[in-house]
Amino acid sequence: MRLRWNVIIGSLTIIPGLLFGGVATGYLLGGLADKHLFVGAHHLVNVVLLLLVFVMVIATALTLAERKWSAMMQNRIGPNRARLPFLENSALSGVPHVITDVLKLLTKEAFIPKDASKLLFNLAPMLAFAPVFALFAIVPAGPTVNVFGFDIEMVAANPDFGLLYLFGIASLAVYGTSLAGWSSNNKFALLGGVRASSQMISYEVALGLGLVGMMIAFSTVQLGGPAGMSDLQSHYLPGWSTYLGPIDVGVPQWGFLLQPAGFILFFAAAFAETKRAPFDVPEGESEIIGYFVEYSGMQFGLFMIAEFVEVVVLSGVLIAIFFGGPYLPFGNLWLKSLFGPDWQWLYGSILGTVFWLKVVLLCYLQLAIRWTFPRFRYDQIQTLGWKILLPIGLANVFISGALILWDPSLKALAIAGGIEILVLVALTLTPTPAKSRADAHIGHHGPVDEHGHGADHALPAGHH
Amino acid sequence: MSADDYDPSPSNEELEAHLQTRNMVVNLGPSHPAMHGTVRMRVELDGETIVKVDTEIGFLHRGFQKSCENVTWTQCLPYTDRLNYVSALGNNFGFLHAVEELIGLEIPERAKYIRVIGAELHRICDHLTATGALGLELGAFAAFLYGVEARELLWDRVTELTGARLTTSYGRIGGLNRDLPPTWPALVEKSLKKTEELAGEVEALLSRNRIFVDRCRGTGIITTQDALDFGFTGPCLRANGVKYDVRKAKPYWVYDRLDFEVPVGASGDNYDRYLCRVEEMKQSIKMIRQCFKEMPEGPVMVDDWRIALPPKQEVYSTIEGVMAHFKLVMEGVQVPAGEVYSCTEGANGELGWYLRSDGSGRPYKVHVRAPGFHILSGVNKMIEGRMLADLVPTFDTINMIGGEVEQ
Repeated sequence: MRLRWNVIIGSLTIIPGLLFGGVATGYLLGGLADKHLFVGAHHLVNVVLLLLVFVMVIATALTLAERKWSAMMQNRIGPNRARLPFLENSALSGVPHVITDVLKLLTKEAFIPKDASKLLFNLAPMLAFAPVFALFAIVPAGPTVNVFGFDIEMVAANPDFGLLYLFGIASLAVYGTSLAGWSSNNKFALLGGVRASSQMISYEVALGLGLVGMMIAFSTVQLGGPAGMSDLQSHYLPGWSTYLGPIDVGVPQWGFLLQPAGFILFFAAAFAETKRAPFDVPEGESEIIGYFVEYSGMQFGLFMIAEFVEVVVLSGVLIAIFFGGPYLPFGNLWLKSLFGPDWQWLYGSILGTVFWLKVVLLCYLQLAIRWTFPRFRYDQIQTLGWKILLPIGLANVFISGALILWDPSLKALAIAGGIEILVLVALTLTPTPAKSRADAHIGHHGPVDEHGHGADHALPAGHH
Repeated sequence: MSADDYDPSPSNEELEAHLQTRNMVVNLGPSHPAMHGTVRMRVELDGETIVKVDTEIGFLHRGFQKSCENVTWTQCLPYTDRLNYVSALGNNFGFLHAVEELIGLEIPERAKYIRVIGAELHRICDHLTATGALGLELGAFAAFLYGVEARELLWDRVTELTGARLTTSYGRIGGLNRDLPPTWPALVEKSLKKTEELAGEVEALLSRNRIFVDRCRGTGIITTQDALDFGFTGPCLRANGVKYDVRKAKPYWVYDRLDFEVPVGASGDNYDRYLCRVEEMKQSIKMIRQCFKEMPEGPVMVDDWRIALPPKQEVYSTIEGVMAHFKLVMEGVQVPAGEVYSCTEGANGELGWYLRSDGSGRPYKVHVRAPGFHILSGVNKMIEGRMLADLVPTFDTINMIGGEVEQ
């Protein structure tokens, strides 16, 4: 394939540039709001900026990115037919398709089947959309910095029960899906709704268990703020840091390094919660078409965009908990010292950009998984959730707890995590012996698939 | 019973009784993503488990057999394109082979080789579609597109050979209507290389993919006895370990001279059917290369004006030429009275033809034994008692083609 350098360089400058501009606006507006309205008014700015601008715009862009990226993976060109007036000769990488999609969905008839339960039918898309959106409220998208004399937190809300809010709201999402399936008065939709509700409820167990290790390690369920998980990950493991000239380096306390098993569990479970391939049985377009089979127009659009919002939110949550939030793996102190007290918002904006870039990368990872893996069968999903993820989660909680009790500085945990990662990498790189049928029948999850849960069965080995 | 005797607490029997449930009947198709080729399945579901499947075909029925009776033998050819529309050349040549057998006609060497090349090319196309669609419907869209990319390449070669991608109508009774284009073998070789690469890509994406294997292995199983009873042939039968391939059992054209293996499975499940197809593609590629190497020069059509159209030069300059041309076009090839059952190995199995001629230029009766029909009839055995989701890979690996099943 021809490398289009202008496109590559363009996106490499435009995307971080836009993100930086957005975050900087957030900090400055937040500072102004605090100064002129009341202290804490910056949270209102954040609601608008983070939820409505960042999450929504990235989710919208993902609708296009999904098609373009999948086209890349499949030797296709992808959408390029929609053109803007006066720019008929340029496909603009398919960006006009975002506009045409929205126009199409908005102008289509919102069809309601005759025997559908009207109230629930109309309520379901909203119930599916709102919770995923609200999830992002507790995700800190940048460090707390001082702007115009006020401490500006880059988070819509920072309750001390952070992760509990996350679990609570995440479980609400199931209502939208199952109600959509039930109220449509359609057998396919009903099957989809039943599948969705059982899947989402089962995976909540693994979802919670995946994070317990992190909660023990940092002794908090809060995400934002100086005592929150996100900020704690900017610290190095005690004693394992040094200075290279002015730059501080060391082993950061990133959740991914401390809790690889927890990360994989949480990732797999959250992936199941988003109902995207390989966990898309509720949709299962080749079998039952999906719980939203009767929806059309923007009501369908809400389900659709909710899925993409979920992708963004999941990336944000994963980064805040497991990938150091907005922080770089090293050099954070050095970066902070570069800017004087009046220019801290610049420091914040740089890290905010880092956060959103991490989000985009994780979104890409999720789409790559979605386009690479076939769909599970309904019962296989339950097996994975209850018989594989749950025991691993329990083992992980006990082992992590023991290690933290033994060494509260988390170093033992980090070493165990390092070993887990090494085992996973080794297993992934080891070529599987030639097809042995009997073997594959017994092991439910071999090292064949690389996207996390396939390698799960290796985890106990990493723990001894 | 007076009001005092009434005991509101339920009896033990009542408490232990199962909940009264009814099975749900779902109509899959004729317009349903999994039901390619517009077949309808009336599926009775107990939760996610299939209790009963009722397959209803006929949505693509177009009266193939009757239509054939109203046209000359040669004019049947375009109808055969539409049987298995993914591998039309296989049907074309199969039909011609049957007619030639009825006449007792031996076609030229070169034509035999070209027929093998064409049939095998389209067999690859068919298997690419089947394996790709299996991936597609299990959610691995990329595998499908890789498969289809290779198929497009091969169809481009078929277009150069026949003038059409799907409705090839290539070959005539007594040989072929035209020889290979001059640079064609080199192009085919190039496409085959790319096909090998892409098919390898599909295999790499699917064959050892944990989820794919879990979905396919142990699902859609049919016992060997059932498979034989239902009349399974082709990859679906070979997946059970029965080594029956018309190309080996009753060699026609030049298959007896070619060096190829017949891959067989063991368990008769979806995974084995998939693997059989993957392996058969490799064997077909091998065969095509061999044919190009061994193919002699020479005519591609018998030199008999009762069967082959005379050269245009003769038509325009001699009375014999004009008359032969006129008689062949208006009355058709005069096939001697009699009947024949002849079969070739189509992509999905034994493609059989029962032909009956009354000595005129038109068939008295054309009956097709479409491999897919027999396999489709066994689909109940494969999925009753299994889960709804298993229907999808099962329906894909049996590769039901509406055109040939419903004729």
